[in-house]
Amino acid sequence: MSVRMFAAIMVGSYEISMKIFEFSKKGNMREIDFIRQKIELGTDTYATGKISYARVDELCSILSRFKQIMTAYQVDEYKAYGTSAIRETENTTIILDQIRLRTGIEVSVLSNSEQRFLDYKSTATRGEHFKNMINRGTAIVDISGGSIQISLFDSDRLVTTQNMRLGVLRIRERLLKLQAKPSQYEQLIDEMVSTQLEVFQKLYLKDKVIPSITLVDDYVSLIMQRHMEKNGEENYVRTEDFNRFVDRIKRHNAIETARALGITEEDAFLLFISSVMTNRMLKLMKAELLWAPGVTLTDGMAYEYAEKNKIFVPAHDFEQDILACAQNISKRYMGSRKRGETLEQICLTIFDSMKKVHGLGKRERLLLRLAALLHDCGKYISMVNVGECSYSIIMATEIIGLSHREREIVAGVVKYNHLDFAYYSEQGRVTDLDREAYLIVAKLVAILRVANGLDRSHKQKFKYIKANLKDDELVLTVDTMEDITLEKGLFESKADFFEEVYSIRPVIKQKKNF
Amino acid sequence: MSKVGKKMGEKQNYKDPSMFTNRELSWTLFNERVLSEARDKSIPLFERLKFLSITASNLDEFFMVRVASLKDMVNAHYTKPDIAGLTPLEQLQQLNAATHRIVNLQYSTYKRSLLPQLCLNGLRVIEKHEELTEEEAAYVDQYFEENVYPVLTPMAVDSSRPFPLIRNKSLNLGALVRKKSEGKEGSGSLEFATVQVPSVLSRIVPVPSGKAGERLVILLEEVIERNISRLFLNYDIVCTFPFRIMRNADLTIEEDEAEDLLKEIEKQIKKRQWGQAIRLEVEAGIDNRLLKIIQDELDIEEPDIYKIDGPLDLTFLMKMYGLEGFEHLKNPPYTPQPVPEIVPDENIFDQIRERDILLHHPYQTFTPVVDFIRQAAKDENVLAIKQTLYRVSGNSPIIAALAQAAENGKQVSVLVELKARFDEENNIVWARKLEKAGCHVIYGLVGLKTHSKITLVVRREEDGIRRYVHLGTGNYNDATAKLYTDLGLLTCKEAIGEDATAVFNMLSGYSEPLSWNKLSLAPLWLKNRFLYLIQRETEHAKEGRPAHIIAKMNSLCDRDVMAALYEASASGVKIELIVRGICCLKVGMPGISENISVRSIVGNFLEHSRIFYFENDGKSEVFLGSADWMPRNLERRVEILFPVEDPDLKEKVMHILEGQLRDNVKAHVLMPSGEYEKVDKRGKVLYNSQEGFCLEAIQAAKQNKEENSRVFIPETHVE
Repeated sequence: MSVRMFAAIMVGSYEISMKIFEFSKKGNMREIDFIRQKIELGTDTYATGKISYARVDELCSILSRFKQIMTAYQVDEYKAYGTSAIRETENTTIILDQIRLRTGIEVSVLSNSEQRFLDYKSTATRGEHFKNMINRGTAIVDISGGSIQISLFDSDRLVTTQNMRLGVLRIRERLLKLQAKPSQYEQLIDEMVSTQLEVFQKLYLKDKVIPSITLVDDYVSLIMQRHMEKNGEENYVRTEDFNRFVDRIKRHNAIETARALGITEEDAFLLFISSVMTNRMLKLMKAELLWAPGVTLTDGMAYEYAEKNKIFVPAHDFEQDILACAQNISKRYMGSRKRGETLEQICLTIFDSMKKVHGLGKRERLLLRLAALLHDCGKYISMVNVGECSYSIIMATEIIGLSHREREIVAGVVKYNHLDFAYYSEQGRVTDLDREAYLIVAKLVAILRVANGLDRSHKQKFKYIKANLKDDELVLTVDTMEDITLEKGLFESKADFFEEVYSIRPVIKQKKNF
Repeated sequence: MSKVGKKMGEKQNYKDPSMFTNRELSWTLFNERVLSEARDKSIPLFERLKFLSITASNLDEFFMVRVASLKDMVNAHYTKPDIAGLTPLEQLQQLNAATHRIVNLQYSTYKRSLLPQLCLNGLRVIEKHEELTEEEAAYVDQYFEENVYPVLTPMAVDSSRPFPLIRNKSLNLGALVRKKSEGKEGSGSLEFATVQVPSVLSRIVPVPSGKAGERLVILLEEVIERNISRLFLNYDIVCTFPFRIMRNADLTIEEDEAEDLLKEIEKQIKKRQWGQAIRLEVEAGIDNRLLKIIQDELDIEEPDIYKIDGPLDLTFLMKMYGLEGFEHLKNPPYTPQPVPEIVPDENIFDQIRERDILLHHPYQTFTPVVDFIRQAAKDENVLAIKQTLYRVSGNSPIIAALAQAAENGKQVSVLVELKARFDEENNIVWARKLEKAGCHVIYGLVGLKTHSKITLVVRREEDGIRRYVHLGTGNYNDATAKLYTDLGLLTCKEAIGEDATAVFNMLSGYSEPLSWNKLSLAPLWLKNRFLYLIQRETEHAKEGRPAHIIAKMNSLCDRDVMAALYEASASGVKIELIVRGICCLKVGMPGISENISVRSIVGNFLEHSRIFYFENDGKSEVFLGSADWMPRNLERRVEILFPVEDPDLKEKVMHILEGQLRDNVKAHVLMPSGEYEKVDKRGKVLYNSQEGFCLEAIQAAKQNKEENSRVFIPETHVE
């Protein structure tokens, strides 16, 4: 394999950036170029709900120049993602189309959870440091323009991840709207963030101590990077040192701070907001250490590209984080862990045996596992309307790493496990799913239904199950001594839908082993 | 941060106006140093002509830019004193005395020492056309008829014709004329007439001489003066005198308002000749009536009139220097030597990959820099070439190479600085040429002049992207590289390559990088960096550790830097400064600057490199850069300071500094009185650093050639 060049473009709320990466033959990742240009898309979106034509024009001309740079570097592949400013604007589709027509660049919109997942992945580019942090337990605090995301990790496992609309740009807009005096800023920021942080604490932290915070932001990280990386140190700072730093910038106005730190006044203001928020987080978590790896979403994109192209061995099993996230959601809604796991296992056995028939990949396999784990979360609200309620819960809950479309697939699979399947051509269906996604839903529902049927009694009667595809039959050999009359009886109705989707009939064969 | 506040408080002690020399007055001292070369009898005669010419063109530029700007301030009733505590008006008054003194000295040098010497050496300058013999006069008149007359535009002024535009810096003849009326003299009123001495013709007109071994020349204005009556046929000529004016030319562009920078500059150039007149030169003995007409019309005040005993505008001496046949009265020409580390026809990238290469111009040839770009233009692995261009020679091989690179499909980005003073017209022409070839041309940054000299070549190699960088202290100008002393570094160190990429991203209007590896840039970071480096020496000195700064630059006038130097000196840091031109710092102030020495080297080559050495408690650091310690460099320009880290190259740079500090031929030393004096040579071995470097470069090239020409012949086995 030769040297590969990859370009990662991010259309952010207040900046468009592009990183050019080089992957060597040995799989080393090297950042070659980092180009950033300020453009306040977020100001438009957050204030008016729309990105103005003039801004779109500016955006396109920047992207055209980025394209020239990519050409110059002979980039092999690129990815371009839009974040909250593009996502939340009313004219998203039109803007993306404009960009495509005028620059030839395909920009995809990241859901918040995908964006945060990439941010999180970007910290993994820091190798050993990253492993150390998540093993010992850390909260990844990801402060962006529109919102902040807090993800708690405990011994290499993701505990929870929550989003709050408290981004630095959003807070700046509010402060400016209030026409407050600079001396009042700190208190106002406090008031804005404290309610939401208190809720977060009650729900997820309780009395837990999180030893460290991993910060992903554009301001505090920048300053830390400038002042520490020069000395070859990794960007760790002790909480008391950080507090001293915050005290110092509190005592100076933006102009003084800008001059002292060599940044613009505008950035100095945003640095102030970011610092105060970080300071509050450290207090809330009782953390003693702050790590600001100084990575950005684009690093995460490169990581993902390398992962996808098997350029290097991933440092961490990110799929496990997504599953952990689903397990935690299930737990919150009193789902049975055992039942979920049994279902998951049966589903996977069927899925794997059917590979040739369904033609689905690794990602869909993950979606199926998530659907199995979350299959009955809705019963927490209503025993009767499990399908609808589960759908609503899943759609309202963040699952890190999933795109909006994927989340909707999972929710759909869970829903139609309980309800009659609504066909694509049916009128009045409330879904944004495209045909392809819809087909995935159908295929996964068929499997989940069969699996569900096999565990009808919820007693996990089948410890082992084997699936064998023989001509137009899928023979499910179950290994149990127990009576499976109930399962067999109800299985037929589940099998009908399976047959409809795959033209293959599932049949149960009992094998009694002593 | 409170600590910083306290430090600033302490520094106040070092910023008192009494501690600084006014920069304009310091400049006049510099020009006097150049003038002293013209007066130095140990220098070949024609070289002295050249130096005198340089003082004249220096003075012209000084008037157009600095004096003009002070005049503007006075007109605007601006009274804020400079760092030395002088208001603009006070500065003008003191300058006036100084410039008059320089002019007097220029002409006494010309008339009393150079003209007689020229005559002795077989070149006679006919000062007045009246001195021509009949034969010579006939030749001159014929020359006038054939060559001069057709290009003249005589203009008379009367009530129906307005006063004509007198072009900036042009030489003119003014005459008082009276209409001929019926052949009677003494009737009719006096009128003013003028004709410009055409700049398209050579000012030096050779005249055949009857004597063997003698060459005769006369100045063009004398030829015209002699024939002036033929220009104003219906008039009697009462008197004729040459005059010359200088106008305000400080070009300030309102960039924020200018939609198209290019057009704006073109407009400004056209406007420039209409600027306010700030100096009037006339021949001594001019008719007072004539003078009054010119003076009134140009609205010029008495102190700004220079009555000159000799030919106006001595820059013609540069042309005289070019006269053939006087080679024995000039320094033997020096040919820049090949760089031993570079084998000319081999791949330059391979050679840079082996090690960093230091270039010392003009002792060493500029060709490797041109080759660097030429080869990049043709090299199939090169993806992109990026370069900043400030002042470029007329027919630049670099421009040609860049255009070719673009045609070969490379991504070529060129930052063209249009604001390079007096060069705008030139710059616009080749900027358009580059654009046509497909280069991406960036026209500088709003409000900032891009003065840094950097070239980046991005190459895709077997093991990935590799960046080759050239950083320099001088412009990418192959012509001036033969005259200006400059240093350049060719490297492919990753840290510098990353920074270079970031520099060009910034220059293209993208955001600054998160951090810099090795480079320090003005206007955002450089000044603090210098202050830090100086303060670090101060700290070391306070702790009793050795502390030493050597800095070489063109000008020193930034107050913060000087205050830091005073503080350092007061703390015991040894500071040796090599400042060619303006130096506002004072030496020998008790308790303040006793540890500071300043020397200025004015030689055959124009000292131009900027070198900075900091002892750093034994871990010495050496930097090169494009910036002087002037506010304009540190605050209003894009400048780059770069380290020389390779131990061998560091040693080479230190050798240059040591040579300059040892120089006792061309060095002038700043005295506590504020005057410059030549080094006392008694009992010392004479050392001229520029000559020394020439010899070393020749030696090194020769040695290298010998080593490489040695061929070992393998034995062949005979059966």
